[in-house]
Amino acid sequence: MAHEVELQTAGNMWKVMVKVGDDVKAGDTLFIMEVMKMEVPHEAPADGTVTAVNVAEGEEGLDAGTVAIVIG
Amino acid sequence: MLEVIKPGLETSVQDYLGRRGHLNLGFPWSGAMDSWSFRLANILVGNEGGAAGLECQFIGPTLKMHNDTVIAVTGADMNPKVDGQPILMWESVALSAGQVLELTFAKTGARSYIAVSGGVDCPAFLGSSSTFHKAGIGGIEGHAIQIGQMIPVSDGDGVAGRRVKESVRPQISTDKSWHIEVVRGPNDDWIDEAGHERFLTTPWKLSAKSDRSGFRLEGPDWSFTEKALNKRPEHGSDPANIIDQGYPVGGINLAGQTPIILVSDGPSMGGFINPYTVPQCAFWKLGQSKPSEHYQFQIISVDEAQEKAREITALCGESSIV
Repeated sequence: MAHEVELQTAGNMWKVMVKVGDDVKAGDTLFIMEVMKMEVPHEAPADGTVTAVNVAEGEEGLDAGTVAIVIG
Repeated sequence: MLEVIKPGLETSVQDYLGRRGHLNLGFPWSGAMDSWSFRLANILVGNEGGAAGLECQFIGPTLKMHNDTVIAVTGADMNPKVDGQPILMWESVALSAGQVLELTFAKTGARSYIAVSGGVDCPAFLGSSSTFHKAGIGGIEGHAIQIGQMIPVSDGDGVAGRRVKESVRPQISTDKSWHIEVVRGPNDDWIDEAGHERFLTTPWKLSAKSDRSGFRLEGPDWSFTEKALNKRPEHGSDPANIIDQGYPVGGINLAGQTPIILVSDGPSMGGFINPYTVPQCAFWKLGQSKPSEHYQFQIISVDEAQEKAREITALCGESSIV
């Protein structure tokens, strides 16, 4: 079952740690957003393989709720 | 008592008016950034408008009730749910001990407010319960709420089913742009006419490097008058430098070429000029705006700013409730 990882806050994309094809485990940090001078890490909800990465480092003005990464 | 299951992103206890009257000691006002939404939340649950409540920023908390109580959620829409079922915002809701209130990410706006009947009960410091985390004062142990903490609440007599009229709620922008009122000064005579023209005609972008201390803006360069360019050396070497002075709350502080709006937890003094000031009547818009949204500034007079603030205050009362 595919898991969609949504942005939990508006803000900028500071770091993206994974690329398509990477195997991840539940709890691994996938990417880190920046808002209010704070880092907001987003973790994998389940084990799986990254099948889509829809965000890039340095992107600004992202909206909360956007699907950033899909884990298959 | 409310138990913190998830804290959200720097969720903190705030009140209104905040900690006013102590800028001379270096303590900022603090308090709710969108005090319009905040006061209405309190009125809904039967509190005084200024009673201590929770300010949630971008990502809301999950809280477990340890007593039967009445709550209200206003401001940014963080999709509030009780035990997984959506609840209405801008309306008082009765909760039983054991029920869980969950807020997620802000869909519109940036800051949600949770008022609890009776108000959050934490010790006042210099007359306010507002959290100022840089000094570790106010709120729960001086900082944003943390997982596992218990938030004490006073006894209240709130009732469920009270609702804020739609016509008196702040209208949160959904097109990523805001018109923000400013008054000129105190250091407007350090900027030349071309600089003023650029400031007032440019949509300024709000940086993600913005928090309750300062809202950093991105836009064109500034240009200066002789007063800034040809001054005594004790003012400093940059055109935007001035001998240390007190800063107005809401001052648009020009740090070199970067304007930073000094907001609720901002510094009380320093050595940069403040060509414009955002008055209190526009602070709710700052509190509800998100990174990369744009501000278009509009000059108003001090009298007009005070009148607008009075108009908002008049809406934060029983006449706005149905």
